[in-house]
Parts: sequence; C-alpha cells; structure tokens
Amino acid sequence: MLELRNIVVHYDARLLLRNVSLSVPAGQTVALLGASGSGKSTLLRVAAGLERPDAGSVRWAGEDITDWPPERRRFALMFQDFALFAHLDVQDNVAFGLIEQRVPRREARERAREMLRLFGLDGRTRDRVTQLSGGEQQRVALARALITSPRALLLDEPFSALDADLRRHLRSEFATRIRDAGMAAVLVTHDEDEARAMATQGWRLRDGEVETAW
Amino acid sequence: MKLHRLAPAGVPLAFLLAMLVVPTLALLGQASAIDPLALWRDPYLRWRLLWSIAQAALTCAAALAVGLPVAWVLARLEFAGRGALLRALMLPFVVPTLVAALGVLALLGPRGVVAQPLGLDLEGTPWLLLYGNLFFNLCLVVRAGVEALERVSASRVAAARTLGATSWRAFWRVEWPAIVPWLASALCLVFLYCFSGFGLALVLGGQRWATVDVEVYRLVAHQLALDEAAALALWTLATMAAMAWLYAAIERRLAQPARADAVPRVEPRTLRQRAAVLAAVLTVVAVSLAPLLALLWRAASAGAQAWGVLLDAEVLAAMGRTLGFSSTALVLATGLGLALGWAAQHALWLRAVAFAPLVVSPVIVAFGLLIAYPRATASLWLLLATYALLALPFVAKSVAAGLDAVPPNWVQAARTLGASPWRAFWRVTLPTIRPSLKRGVAFAAATMLGEFAATLFLSRPEWTTLTTLIYQRLGRAGSANLDAALVLAVVLLALAATALWLIEGRAPARPPAAALPP
Repeated sequence: MLELRNIVVHYDARLLLRNVSLSVPAGQTVALLGASGSGKSTLLRVAAGLERPDAGSVRWAGEDITDWPPERRRFALMFQDFALFAHLDVQDNVAFGLIEQRVPRREARERAREMLRLFGLDGRTRDRVTQLSGGEQQRVALARALITSPRALLLDEPFSALDADLRRHLRSEFATRIRDAGMAAVLVTHDEDEARAMATQGWRLRDGEVETAW
Repeated sequence: MKLHRLAPAGVPLAFLLAMLVVPTLALLGQASAIDPLALWRDPYLRWRLLWSIAQAALTCAAALAVGLPVAWVLARLEFAGRGALLRALMLPFVVPTLVAALGVLALLGPRGVVAQPLGLDLEGTPWLLLYGNLFFNLCLVVRAGVEALERVSASRVAAARTLGATSWRAFWRVEWPAIVPWLASALCLVFLYCFSGFGLALVLGGQRWATVDVEVYRLVAHQLALDEAAALALWTLATMAAMAWLYAAIERRLAQPARADAVPRVEPRTLRQRAAVLAAVLTVVAVSLAPLLALLWRAASAGAQAWGVLLDAEVLAAMGRTLGFSSTALVLATGLGLALGWAAQHALWLRAVAFAPLVVSPVIVAFGLLIAYPRATASLWLLLATYALLALPFVAKSVAAGLDAVPPNWVQAARTLGASPWRAFWRVTLPTIRPSLKRGVAFAAATMLGEFAATLFLSRPEWTTLTTLIYQRLGRAGSANLDAALVLAVVLLALAATALWLIEGRAPARPPAAALPP
C-alpha cells in the first residue's frame, strides 16, 4: 500500500499542501481531483520522489521511503506531455526502464516489442516517437511505465493533451490495463467524469487540504 | 541556490582563476610601475589606441551598411540557393585568422588576383585590414539581422501599411526599431573582435595600421618594455570590458522567448526584388568567399615547387604538433566546458563567466600568463592550458544552450523509470545535447587549429605549429616563401574544415552560441 502521511509543501512561501494524508491499496486506482494550482501534481511528484516535502512522510508497505531517490522507489510516473525521449525510437523508449534494471539490451528490446504488440503498436517499434499520433504516444508512455512492473503507477493528467473522442476511448482501455497489472495507481485529473470512469475512490484537493469526493 | 548544484563548476572556475584572473591581476601589478595616462601623452601609442578604436568602429559601420541589406534579402525573400548563401556567409567563422589574412593578400595584396589586373596597390593603406575585418564579421551582423527580422510581427507591419505607410516607411517606423537591439548586440561583438584583432592586423596592418594587441606583442617580444605593454594591455582590457558590459546590457533586453507571427518570405517577382537577390549574392561572394577563392587559386597556381614544401620534415612536424596540441587541449576544454555549462544551468552568472575568455584577447591572456607565471614560461602545459582556455567558451556556451533545450521532465521520467542521476545524464541528457555539444567542440577545434596569437607568445622555437610556420614564411623575402605560405594556409584551411566535418558530420549551418548574439 502507498501511503502519504501529513504531507506539507510550501511553494514560494505559500502553503500549498497542508497535512495531506491518503493511502492507495495495491490493485486499486484512486483519483485526485482539484483545480489548477491546487497542488495535485506536486503531491504526485512528492510520491514519486521528485520533490521533497517540507514535512510528512511517504510510505510503501509501512516502510518510510521519504528519503529514497526516485529510481529506488519503483513508482512509474506518466507525465502530462508523455515525456517520451525524442532521441530514442519507440522500442528503446519502452525498454528504457528494463535496461536500467540491468536487463540485457537484446532481451529488453524483445520484451519491449512484446509489450508494444499487446498495445497494438507492433508496426511502430522502430519509428521515432515524434512520428506517432497523440494516442499512440500515450500508449507508448503507458507501455514504458508498465513494462518494469512498478509497485505503483502515478498518472499526471494523462489524457489532457488528447482530443475528447480519443480520451474516452483510451481511458477505458487504460483502466482495464491498469486493473490487469494489479498495482496501486493514482490518477491526477481535473475532469470528474474521467476520474469516476477510472477510479474506485476519489479525493479532492482544496485550499491545500484533501477531502473525500466519493 | 543549492551549492551542490554549482559543484561541477569548481574545477573550471579554478582553471579560469588561474588562467584568467591571476594573469589579469599580474598585468595590473606590472602596469602600476608607470602612470597609465602617460600612454595618452605619447603620440605614437595614442595613435595606436585611437586607430584600434577607429578601425573597429569603421568595420562596424561597414558591416552594418553591407550586412543589413543582405539580411533583409535573406529574411524576406525565398529563392533557390538561400540556404547555401547562409552557409557561405558562416564560412569565414571557421577560417583561421592567418588563412584569412593570406586570402586577403592573395586577392588584394601584391600580385593579388584582383589587385594586379586592376593595377591596385593597397600596401601601406588601411583598406586591407578593414576588408579582412569585414570578411570575418559580416556574418555576425547578417545573422543577427535575419533573426531579428524573422521576429518582427507581420501584423504590425500590415497595420502600418494599412495606415498609409509605404514599404520603406513601414520598415523605418516598425521593423527598424524592432531590430536595432539585435544589430547593436552584434555590432558590440564586431567591435570586440576587431578591437582585439591580432593576426589580421599583424599581417595586413603593417607598421602604421596595426592594432594595440600587435603593439603589445612588439613591446614585449621586440623591446622587452613590459611596463608599457602592461599599461597598454590594461587600456585594451578596460575598453573591451566596457564593450562587453554594453553587450550584456543589450542581451538582457533581447531575452524575449516568444516568437511573433513572422512576416512570410516571398519569392522574388519584381525586378527590384530580383536585383536585390543578385546584389546579396554578389556581396556575399565579394566579401565572404573571394579571399578564400583567391587563396585557393593562388596556391593551386603556385607550382609543384611550392607544394613540395609539404614533404619538408619541418612542415610535417608542425602539422603533427598542430594536431597534437589542438586535440589534447580539445579534450581538456570539453571536460571543463561540460562541467561549466552544466553548472550554468543553475546560475546565470556562470554563463557570463564562460564568456570571459572571449572578452580578453589571446594576446592579453598570453602576456598576463608570462608575467604571472615566469617560471612556467615556454612550458608545454601552459601552452595547452591556454589553448583550452580559448576553446572553453565555445564548448561551455554550447552545452548551456543544449541543456536549455532538454525538457526538464525527461530527466524526471528517466529517474522514475529507475535511472540514477548519472544514468539519466548518460542516457537522456547527453544524447539530447550531443548536436549542440558537437557544434561547440567543432568550432573549438577549428579555433585551436588556427590559434596564432597565444602560440606566438608562449611556444618555444622547436614547437612550431602550422600558424607560426606560415608567419615565419611570410617574414622571409622572396615569392617562393609567399607561395609556400599560401600552400600551408590551404593545408590549415583543409585541416580546420576536416575537423569540422569529422566532429559535426556536416557543413556548419551556424556558429555556436558562444560566438554569436542569440
């Protein structure tokens, strides 16, 4: 279980997050709602280890991992703009995390191709990521995040860059894939319909504090 | 500011302290022996200082007058060969100074390709030096002009036209005010480069039209008048620092990331537009290509005896040393530049520091080192470190520019995918900045292969490089020596071009960030 306990974060002397606590059991997806600037993405970055809270702790299975660097936590973060590496082709983007786990490059690429086949992208393995459509890029980003079997998946407004039709189509596909992977997932979004379609539980951030949405 | 983020800058800063700050302080100490105003009471030295300022100002005026129309053509008209013209313009930037000087001599000097048929005798006049200056600096003004004109808002120009302005009035009242800061920034650099010019002034200026840097060299090497030379060097430094400050002040005004709705380029249809394109092409050929073409022509027609110089053991050894010194220093400069450019991401003042070696001319650097480290004089490490110092800005600024282009969340994505900070740098940041880094390293290599001023000061007679060998040949009487110098200049040019091609992998489309305004 991923737990955030009494997280406090200041941003430019403003109190952005005030004693925020929430927990996400393995196998469940929770949604984090809130207006722009409410601190949703910051909370996700704190969980991922990309930002250090001013107070509070991040825990995994009861262990305090607040001081762990991002690479040790094994929480995959999916960025709003996908953050795909333009200097690598599609298969090497997906294989990136495996290579960091010391999987031999040939095997990593093979597993990446297998993953891409599952995602319906087997014809695009050697393409540059810039040649892909928005939906294809989104799938590559999810494949890259899931291939290392992370302990938790953190999704930062993953559909905001896509048009409405594609969003509807992809969110049901993503919900299925995340459920099948059986990991804890946190979805940050400002779209309540999207949140309800994908998450079993919803939280809302308002004035730096978290409250139950449903 | 977290101090650990600046840690990579520790070694380069120590290097700059030892190679730039300490020598400057040593110059100050040396100059304190005489009244700095005494130089201005000496008619000969006063003339040197005033001429140095005047020739730099005249070059600025000429570069603006010639470069702005060319920039306008390149920014507003779309024509076949436009890209090639832009590349041709940038060619002089990678040409070693002595090669350029020989190119000018091959064109307009005694028996010059153009001078001889026209019966021109420009020896002993300032025109050779001014033309050489323009050859080197036209590209700075044109590139700044093109970038600035491409940022002029099309809707503002259209508004001016609908309010009754002719195309000329729209240019004068809307476009010109928008591009002035860009041009001013480029002209500051032109002034800096010309004021501190050494190789061109030494070869083309003769006794009368040489610059202060040449005078500093003569005072040190020929007269051992160190106090006077130091005082002159400090006046040079003060002038350059003032110009660099002005440059930095203008640069801050230029920090506008947004690109406006650009005025679209049109195909030349009217007679005037076609004439403008032709004039721009002829201008680029006459200023940026003619000296190189003349050099190649004169060298090609020099005959087998002149080319036989390439088999001399002395020449082969000089080539080996040129390559050896340059490649060793390049490795050093790349390491230092990477560290400095990396740290400059977190502290803007480090970018200014990285630029500092370009503001202090090689002559002043070398002279300061001689005074600061007398025991190390003529030691190989000092020469190599000086080469690296002169190459450092190209690498550091290119790295900083490359890092600016790396989306911050790429590194974060790599970290969440299991990469340590070092692995994220190796697998994400380095491949992304590689094109920019290669460009900086390529230009640094070209600069070092053609390095002349510091080599003349700091090397021993047995460490002759290609540039000093060319200079030696030029100093000897007889046309055979001039022909040999021309051949060696072609070899140096070929080496610089090969280095660029090997490192960058293609013809350079633009110089690195260190050399140009944004």
